[in-house]
Amino acid sequence: MIEEVTLLNIKGLSVDFFTENGIAHAVQDVSFSVKKGQTFALVGESGCGKSVTALSVMRLIPDPPGKIAAGEINFENRNLLSISEQRMRSVRGNRIAMIFQEPMTSLNPVYTVGEQIVETIRLHQKKSEPEAWEIAAEMLRKVGISEPGQRVTEYPHQMSGGMRQRVMIAMAISCKPQLLIADEPTTALDVTIQAQILDLLDSLQQQSKMSILLITHNLGIVAERAQDVAVMYASRIAELSNSKSLFENPLHPYTQGLLKSLPQLGFTGERLYTIPGIVPEPLHFPSGCKFHPRCYLGCNDKRCQTIEPQLREVALGRQVACWYAPGYERPDDPKL
Amino acid sequence: MSDNKKHKDWGTSYGEMVWHEFAKSKFTLLWLGFIVVLFVVAVFAPFFANDKPFFIKIDGHLRWPLFGALTASDYSIFLAAFITLIQLLLILRNKRKVDPSIRSGVLWRQIFVSISIIIIGTILFFIFIPKRLDATDYKSMIENGKATNALFAPVPYGYGRTDLKVREQAPNRQHWLGTDDVGSDVLCRVIHGSRISLSVGFVAVGISSIIGIIIGAILGYSGGKTDFVGMRLVEIMMAVPVFFLIITIVAFFPRSLFNIMLIIGLTTWTEDARFVRAEFLKLRRQDFVQAAISLGLPLRSILFRHMLPNAIAPVLVNATFGIAGAIFIEAALSFLGFGVAPPAPSWGQILSLGVSTTGRFLWWLTLFPGLAIFFTVLAYNIVGESLRDAIDPRLREAR
Repeated sequence: MIEEVTLLNIKGLSVDFFTENGIAHAVQDVSFSVKKGQTFALVGESGCGKSVTALSVMRLIPDPPGKIAAGEINFENRNLLSISEQRMRSVRGNRIAMIFQEPMTSLNPVYTVGEQIVETIRLHQKKSEPEAWEIAAEMLRKVGISEPGQRVTEYPHQMSGGMRQRVMIAMAISCKPQLLIADEPTTALDVTIQAQILDLLDSLQQQSKMSILLITHNLGIVAERAQDVAVMYASRIAELSNSKSLFENPLHPYTQGLLKSLPQLGFTGERLYTIPGIVPEPLHFPSGCKFHPRCYLGCNDKRCQTIEPQLREVALGRQVACWYAPGYERPDDPKL
Repeated sequence: MSDNKKHKDWGTSYGEMVWHEFAKSKFTLLWLGFIVVLFVVAVFAPFFANDKPFFIKIDGHLRWPLFGALTASDYSIFLAAFITLIQLLLILRNKRKVDPSIRSGVLWRQIFVSISIIIIGTILFFIFIPKRLDATDYKSMIENGKATNALFAPVPYGYGRTDLKVREQAPNRQHWLGTDDVGSDVLCRVIHGSRISLSVGFVAVGISSIIGIIIGAILGYSGGKTDFVGMRLVEIMMAVPVFFLIITIVAFFPRSLFNIMLIIGLTTWTEDARFVRAEFLKLRRQDFVQAAISLGLPLRSILFRHMLPNAIAPVLVNATFGIAGAIFIEAALSFLGFGVAPPAPSWGQILSLGVSTTGRFLWWLTLFPGLAIFFTVLAYNIVGESLRDAIDPRLREAR
């Protein structure tokens, strides 16, 4: 058994956005931990709060309108939410790095990719300029860019989307972070490149033993790569589990729906399953369990309509927030 | 690989693209040429209009009075022009020869060295070049036969020389653009006046751009309450009529060129601040800025290294208009008698002499400096306009 050390531990994180129409609770009471050297996947539909969770870890929530209302983000024995901006800056890029969804716009158009990598390296490590340039070329080689010595001198617009995402990854890993947050790293790329980028992240993780917080709406890539998965729905975690049991036996109706809506090889002639309804807006969440209007179990249940189930451990390494999940109910739960 | 690099075509840079677009119009190039000529005239003003000859033979000795009479500020201007020219050539050379990966580093280093040389040189010139007053009337020496073999500048009059025998003369053979109320040659004063106009334009705009960029950058980046309060203050500043503010301030301070530059610079930065703020508000949410923050870069680097180059285009265009505006304000101040003190020549001041002296309307005192102001301001506006069109392709399509 491999020793499992917790690297990042998020406790009770809540993020609010103050909009003109009221307060939107983008993230509510989210707790999970990422273990050293492992991949943790945060899965959910658009707008469910997974990107906001990731940005909170980096303390990049645009303020105003956003504000972290409650919670702790413990990373290497420090609460990232309480340290100074100055200290946070030495964590960003150095201990925690982030890859963004849109590689086309996440590189500065006015500098060569080399200059951008070199700036990061020189900021966090004591390296001379020529040394930093060599490391930059080495990093590009590591992420599978051919002719790295030539490529460092090129501008982002001279590169394709996949190549730019590789450059972003090179920049992110150039300071050997402990945690890499990948916010939908492959969404903007075509399918063949997606696989390459994910394989690249895998092999980099093998080499450097870093942890990855993978944010995605693609369940397919989660199954192969993540050890733990949290499924988010309407700004809360609906189900948190190791990925093996999640895929074998989903407990939350939402997770079940998601897995059912995946196209499967060999099944033909049938319409693909869809979960009825749409994701509720953060300003108009339904009462009770937020999933109940779309749920095949709870849509007529009084309790589901009025009382929101909290995340509870139902088996070893499995947490779920659903009144109907086996083993969820406790004797002192209210009954309606 | 390094050999391979040297011969590589680095592709078209942004600057080259803008220049290509800019140079499409011959009309614009003509006006750019006019500005260049104006610069040459301003820098070498003592060689174009001077009452001292380049060389003269007095009692059999060859002397160089013109060079001897050059002041420390003349030498500083020559040095600055020379270094700027070298810097421009270096930038062109870097475009072809220097690897883009290190180009911006090289560029900043070069600019830093250039500015240092100019500043140190200027200080040294002012310390070591004594103030000489060569009041010798070389022209009368020639007429008297005391001296021979002299070569005078094309306009053989000094801008501070007065000659009451020839006061208020209309344009004639000796004085191509006439003379003013104390008998100074108008052409000579217009030539020397270009120095004041151009330097006021550049220094004032330099000051206002720097202030505007810093304030705009901070407001645009921070957003929220800071932005709100800051922009209201900027708007209050904009609501004050700048020209009257300047007149009020000028009334309290000694009439010196430097004060005028400073005051114009300190009062006209609001436009730049608004442009930069607008660009920064837009850029702040861009992924690459978020990425830069997520890499832990310091605020200084994010603001001025990563965001500013993406927001500089409107500032550059506005600076071009700003130069025209500053020249105009200086001329207006001088016209009203708040400008530089005589005998320092300024276009606005010459212009004001046309109406005020003996009740006669001296048209040549109004027309020629007026034309100089008109064409200079026009040239800057046309160049600024074309620059804006070249930078903003959408605007170009709309035309």
